[in-house]
Amino acid sequence: MKTRTIVKALAGMIVIGGGVGYFMYQAMQSSWSYYYSVDDFSANISTVKNHSFRIAGRVKQGSVARDLQKMDLTFTLAGSESELSVRYKGSVPDNFAEGREVVVEGRLDTSGVFQADLLMTRCESKYKVKVK
Amino acid sequence: MAELGHFALLLGLFLSGYAILADVLGAWRNKAELVKSGLNATIACLACLTVAMTVLWIVLVRSDFGVSYVAEHTSRALPLTYKVSALWAGAAGSLLLWLWLQVGFVVLVFGKFRAEQGTFSAGARAVANMVSVFFLLVLIFDKNPFALSIVVPVDGAGLNPLLQHPAMALHPPTLFIGYAAFAIPFAWAFSSLKWGSTDGSVPLFRQARNWILLAWLFLTVGIVLGAWWAYEELGWGGYWAWDPVENSSLLPWLTATALLHCARTYGRNTPAARWLTILSLVTFSLCIFGTFLTRYGLVSSVHAFPEPGLGILFLVLLVNIWVIAAILLWRRNRRDKIATRAATATGHKFITLNNWLMVLLALVIFVGTLFPFFSGIFSEHKISLKPDYFTKITAPGGLALLLLLAICPFLFRHGISRSWQTAGAVLAAIVALAAWLLGHKIALVCFVLCGFAMLNLAGDFLRRYIKVRGRRNQRPVPRRNLRWYGARIVHSGVVLVFVGIAGSGGYGIEEQAALMPDGTFSMAGFNITYEGLKADHGPNFTAVTADITVHKGQKLVARLNPSQAYYSRSDKRTSEVAIRRTLAYDLYLALTEVDNTSGLINLNVLFKPLINWIWIGSIVSVLGVGLILISSYSRRTAVARGEDEDTQ
Repeated sequence: MKTRTIVKALAGMIVIGGGVGYFMYQAMQSSWSYYYSVDDFSANISTVKNHSFRIAGRVKQGSVARDLQKMDLTFTLAGSESELSVRYKGSVPDNFAEGREVVVEGRLDTSGVFQADLLMTRCESKYKVKVK
Repeated sequence: MAELGHFALLLGLFLSGYAILADVLGAWRNKAELVKSGLNATIACLACLTVAMTVLWIVLVRSDFGVSYVAEHTSRALPLTYKVSALWAGAAGSLLLWLWLQVGFVVLVFGKFRAEQGTFSAGARAVANMVSVFFLLVLIFDKNPFALSIVVPVDGAGLNPLLQHPAMALHPPTLFIGYAAFAIPFAWAFSSLKWGSTDGSVPLFRQARNWILLAWLFLTVGIVLGAWWAYEELGWGGYWAWDPVENSSLLPWLTATALLHCARTYGRNTPAARWLTILSLVTFSLCIFGTFLTRYGLVSSVHAFPEPGLGILFLVLLVNIWVIAAILLWRRNRRDKIATRAATATGHKFITLNNWLMVLLALVIFVGTLFPFFSGIFSEHKISLKPDYFTKITAPGGLALLLLLAICPFLFRHGISRSWQTAGAVLAAIVALAAWLLGHKIALVCFVLCGFAMLNLAGDFLRRYIKVRGRRNQRPVPRRNLRWYGARIVHSGVVLVFVGIAGSGGYGIEEQAALMPDGTFSMAGFNITYEGLKADHGPNFTAVTADITVHKGQKLVARLNPSQAYYSRSDKRTSEVAIRRTLAYDLYLALTEVDNTSGLINLNVLFKPLINWIWIGSIVSVLGVGLILISSYSRRTAVARGEDEDTQ
């Protein structure tokens, strides 16, 4: 291959790669969300303020409280060692229940309650129903 | 009964293993007997898989809960249709269905034993059988559909009520037909790496090209059905959430779209050949990878890293494919150096541009989907990206594609020159940019480009009409009309889909309301009144339904009844949404919470402008592809009659 073609190809790659990289960086910046388990989150609680987090845990039995008037839901997310209280406003997935594994996304507020703006229940495997 | 199915799988594994050896040795040593025996083994493998499929269907319909797959996915009360469709309700059955279809397609295309195509077909069959072997290993040792229940339950668990929906009964098999059909161009590309210069290459390519179109059609229909189901059934009012499961079907769709355009221009000049080969390999690899990703929960799972088990076999298969392909590619490049021939024709430049855009889109989505996994390697904590990463990153690429779509029919033939079309494109780009600067809304930019694309397509149709009318009396209308119209109809459909996406995404409103009986709530000019609750009973569920009237000013617009159903058998709750549909908007109500004593309800209310154009556009596109398929078929018979093949 001639040097010119190589230079051209390289320049093209840098321009395209740079452009795509820039767009990706821009898009990622605002949608970055750390993925922690409840235990990890509680262990690092001093460093986790002001960041968006995605936290996985199990809904503690007997902790779910709904206020239909205010349309909010509070529950305790339990890991194997620690717990976290969560407050969520919005529509609750159909298969949300006590004892189920869920993922919440949001931020920790100053009073130590996790304000979630996203609540996902774990798909057991997309199609599967467990035999009791 | 189940033992028969299990045995059929084992025999199938043995046969496809033998077929690889026979085909490779036969093609390599030029032994026609061996090649023939390889073909027979493949056909026998298909027969075994057919037996396995039949057995699985029989045990499903007969509710034989001794088979754990039947117990996990059906129950006695389940309607017969869902018992039949339960075949693809789980991973094991879906894989079996995919494999059965794939081997069937392979036998159909590469199964005719003709001397001149023998070597090429043998190569294609060998690689297809390699895939079969891996699938069968997974089916036999990990996701066995015929595994027996440890304790035979009195009744099965039933099908997840969310999946008891016609779209969901059709969505998986449609996708699997698409995935399986991509094995044809894949096998063709693979074989052409080694035996590309043999006689079988070209006639089999013509067949592979139609299979690409067919596979693309099914994949598209499958994806749209999935989106429609999500919108109708899941109650959150969206159709696409950039979930790994969804992304894994979109990735092969993007590369397949590029492949489709490449395949249309291949043949007259070879620069597309390398693209064609690589895109065929990439598309099918992405189909397999997507299945691995979703079925073994590499990223979608809540757990840090689940035991991938034998799913790792899929990765081994992919590595195998790419190592062999890389060696063959390298050897071919050394052998005939055709790769240095430049893409000179203007048409090819735009196809290449389209390819790059599609591949880049697929790449950024791929990176985003696997981001939690990648970040888990480099840092202690995984980082996931919210859905708006995908929205933001795909918007510029999508808009660029839309602009390309608008001007391609013209530029394809004439290149960038001083003309009305070029001026129009520049104007459209300026208006779009101005719209962006003024409104800061991607949707607005999208509308401008959609308008431009539609004008161009309409102009194209008009010019064609005038031209055809002008020479009506001279000679019959050329046969390739169908294909010409088909392509433009597909593009019109795509533009309509873009209109729907921009409208519903850019101008949608979502609100939640807590209402007591006779309470009112207003949104987007609608007054929504909650009249009361009523109870309902179905065959396997109980439901509460809310009575809701919608007024605009004084005028009654709609009476809507969103409800919540409870399925006691599986202890599941689903909300049935109620939608007021018009071409201009959807008003979408989902009942999220009900307090039976006070009658208090929580409603999720969504206003989605133009959303129905997504479905309409999809249907238009599918019809367009149908026209192209018809024209391809009639051209094939024409070629057989000795008429020459047309050009673009």
